[in-house]
Amino acid sequence: MNSSASYISPVSVLYYCPCTSAAKDHSHKADKARKASSSSEALEANEQPPLQPGSNLLALRVSTIENLYYCDDCSEIRCNRCVIEEPAGYHCPNCLFDVPTASVRSEKNCCARNCFQCPVCAHVLSVVENDLEKKPFSLACSVCYWDSREIGWEFEKATGISAQIERMKQDDHQTKEFANLLDYWRTVHHISANTASSMGLGVHTIGGSQFKHRFGASVMPKALTGAEIPVYKAATYVETDHSRVSSLMAIDNADYVSRLSANAATTAASNEPQRVRLSMKLARRCRSCHHILIKPESKAQATRFKIQLMAANFIPKITLPISLSPKLASDVVLPQKPLRAGTAVPVILRFSNPLYSEMQVCVSAHPQKDDAFVEIHAEEFTLPPFTELWEYDDDDDDNDDGNGSSDRSDGQALTKQRGIVDRHGNRVAIQLNIMPKIHSDNMVIPLRVVSTHQDDMGVDMDTDADTSALGSSHRVVTNKFWVYVSLGPVERNI
Amino acid sequence: MGRLQIAPRALVCKNTIIEGDVQIGNDTVVHVGASILAKKGPIIIGSGNIISERAVIVNNHSTPLTIGDDNLIETDARIEGRGMGHRNTVQVRAVVAEYSTLGNDCVVGATCSTAPAENVPDNTVLFGNPQSRRTRADGNPEHRFTHKKHLEYIHEMLPRYNHIIEAE
Repeated sequence: MNSSASYISPVSVLYYCPCTSAAKDHSHKADKARKASSSSEALEANEQPPLQPGSNLLALRVSTIENLYYCDDCSEIRCNRCVIEEPAGYHCPNCLFDVPTASVRSEKNCCARNCFQCPVCAHVLSVVENDLEKKPFSLACSVCYWDSREIGWEFEKATGISAQIERMKQDDHQTKEFANLLDYWRTVHHISANTASSMGLGVHTIGGSQFKHRFGASVMPKALTGAEIPVYKAATYVETDHSRVSSLMAIDNADYVSRLSANAATTAASNEPQRVRLSMKLARRCRSCHHILIKPESKAQATRFKIQLMAANFIPKITLPISLSPKLASDVVLPQKPLRAGTAVPVILRFSNPLYSEMQVCVSAHPQKDDAFVEIHAEEFTLPPFTELWEYDDDDDDNDDGNGSSDRSDGQALTKQRGIVDRHGNRVAIQLNIMPKIHSDNMVIPLRVVSTHQDDMGVDMDTDADTSALGSSHRVVTNKFWVYVSLGPVERNI
Repeated sequence: MGRLQIAPRALVCKNTIIEGDVQIGNDTVVHVGASILAKKGPIIIGSGNIISERAVIVNNHSTPLTIGDDNLIETDARIEGRGMGHRNTVQVRAVVAEYSTLGNDCVVGATCSTAPAENVPDNTVLFGNPQSRRTRADGNPEHRFTHKKHLEYIHEMLPRYNHIIEAE
């Protein structure tokens, strides 16, 4: 019973990303050995698909080609889960100001300019001018009409709101207390660091034992007593403090301790506008060779990319076409619904070449399959390159329809290669005969695709000496990947 | 039935749909494509209102639908209730539902709507999705100023580009 707990959308072609460099190393060595022994790229009889179609892990490892990257150093597909992400720039999503990396840390990942969020509706606040003489400016929300005057915030200048807020909050007793606490613990740390150096012990152990000392259990040697560490004195005192502390100390049952969120709701900070958090632009690198795959422009408003290595630009795009080119009088392309176990149906797959050079493609299916019997007539074929001028080549294609004649040249004889249904521009549609053997919710067929092409576009500094020939920079690039074709539900045999 | 009374300085475009017993006050602007349908009862619109394109004011009750002064009814809004006070803003695609009224200085946010039968108190703001409401505390100061400017601008520009119904 093939009940897929993980959901793969029916009638789609999904690419498998290996996602592990360990697997790559292993197959690398195996590939080298195989290359030495045989010249064909065809599938060996015992090569298994990396994940069986019923596997629950499959939905996590496959993806459409639009979501995949490609590392041209490793000649491998990379997905979102196996790339290293790193920040390529920080900016404020509201004012689109590019924040230099040094300011990011000093401003605690918030925008330093006048970007604030409304405490009621989280919309961005704008600075408005009111009619008052003194302190005419305030922050207002245009969605919920909240104004900062409701919490007493009014400003003298329209710019530098953050600085004015800082000044307003300096006299706040919370800020004073916090500053006092910071000073106190710095002194403690300083004292213990000095004592540690004089006693020759690690600082961190002393810091830990200070705690134990203050709370009763003394593990430290007698030389370090409480007399050296000053007792903490609070900087401010609020009237409710005494009652709050005594009620807290009177608690002896853990059920009566209030949650942190209840305390947070009553503090004044929940009524105040928060500063807008900065957003990041991410660059992505290959996990094994650290080659940059995606690099956006660092300017916040630029949506382009300096480097963009997408899988769709390097490996053939495989689709289940809805219709073939109109000159072919062919019937419905997708298999007749519903698929039935025991009935063979033809399935058309279309391969499209994104490169400017010709590509040889080998398609093979795993021979012993429990779920379906797959027969591929066109095991190897050639995909012509992608050129923008191919619409002018329609005249050549028009001669290809109908039956073959003995006068044809070799190029046109390729069209009549067995199993190829259609050929147009840089695309080829091949036919597979699939006979499902059991019924299931979603029939998934793994296929192995190997695509080879010559890379004339210039040579990296890292290529080996044996790949460059006679002054021209050629490099044979081979991509091997698995594709899972999902065809939809299969019903029982009648 | 079918009387349309337009005050002298009101600007009502010709490409509007006005049916039934409708009174339009001074300085009020009715943009192109607006509909004012006094189906079962009359509609009385005060002065200084701006009724935008594709707004629909429909009265399905026999009691009059009264709209006060200086209101702004934005594009594609729908007023089906029993009326509203002064200086309100009904934003884009908002709905004042049947049997509801608005007080003064209210804001019905974009795509928001009142409950089917409620009298929305003064200074209420309906906003957000999911919709919530709060009371504004600023007393709506800038509305008088910006609304006046808006009206002046329209009175200057609208007759240049649209046909206006001549008031008697």
